[in-house]
Amino acid sequence: MTTNELNNQAANICDLTELKEMMGGKNNLILGMIDTFLGQIREELLSINGAIEKINYPVIKNFAHTMKSTVSIMGIVILRPILQEMENLAAHTEGIEKIKELNHELNLGCKKAIEEMESERQNYI
Amino acid sequence: MNKINIFIVEDNAIFRMTLKADIEITFANKPIIVTLFETGETCMEKFKEIKPQIVILDYHLNGSNPNAADGIKILDLIKRENPETNVIMLTSDDSTEIALKSFHHGAYDYVVKTETKFRKINYSVFNLFTMMEAKKETKRYKYMVVSLFVFVSLLVGGLSALQIFSPSILR
Repeated sequence: MTTNELNNQAANICDLTELKEMMGGKNNLILGMIDTFLGQIREELLSINGAIEKINYPVIKNFAHTMKSTVSIMGIVILRPILQEMENLAAHTEGIEKIKELNHELNLGCKKAIEEMESERQNYI
Repeated sequence: MNKINIFIVEDNAIFRMTLKADIEITFANKPIIVTLFETGETCMEKFKEIKPQIVILDYHLNGSNPNAADGIKILDLIKRENPETNVIMLTSDDSTEIALKSFHHGAYDYVVKTETKFRKINYSVFNLFTMMEAKKETKRYKYMVVSLFVFVSLLVGGLSALQIFSPSILR
C-alpha cells in the first residue's frame, strides 16, 4: 500500500474481529489488549526509528520482526508485508534508503492504527 | 485436583497476553495456571521453584533486549533442570533448520507464527494434556497390576507355607 493510499483510506486498518472472538467477548480483556498495544506500538516505533537513524541493521531487523507479531494480533494486515520487507533488507544489511521509505509508510500506518484504537477503547470503558 | 502449570516465555507483551487469555478460555475446564515471562532469565528463576509441566517458549527472546538469552539456551536450561517439562517452541521463521535444532535440543513441538498460530498452539497443548492423562492412567494400571501380583504372591506363599508347616489345616 502506498503513502497516498494509507492517507486516503477511509476504512479502518485495524480489524479486531479475530481478537474479540479469541477473548470470548470479554470487554476487560479486550481493553487490556488495546491499552497494551497503544503503549507497546509507540515504544517499538521509537526504537525502530532510532535504529534507522543510526543505520543499526541488527536492531532494525529485531524490531521489524517483533512488530510483525504486534500488528498481526491487532489485525493490521497491511503493515505485515512492509515489516517483512524491512526485516529482510536489514537481515542483508542493505537498502537503507528503501528501509527509510518503508518506515515512512510504517509510521503512517501505525499513527492511523493508534488513532483508531484510542477511539475504539472508548467502547470498552 | 493437581494443577497444571504452564509458563509462557515471550518478549512481545501483546502476544503473550493474547496467548494467555486464549489458552485460559480454550481450556477453561482444565485446572491450569498460566504464568507470563518476558525473558528466559525471569522464567528460570521461577522454574526451579514450580517446575511447570508445559513451557511455551519463543525462539527469538532477544528481540527487544539483545542481552537476553535466546530460546535454545533457555530450552537447554529447562531440560537440564527438569527433563519432564514439555516445551513448545514458537517462531516466526518457517525454517527446517530451526525446527530440527529445537527438536534436537528436546522441544516437544515447534509452532510457526502464521495466521493460525493460536489454533496450532492450542492443538499442541491439547495433545500434551492427552499424553499426560494417558501417562497417569498407565501409572495407575501399573500400580494395580503390581498390587495384584504382590497379593497373589503372598496368597500362594502363605498357602504353601501352611501346607508345609500345618498340613492338617488345609484338609
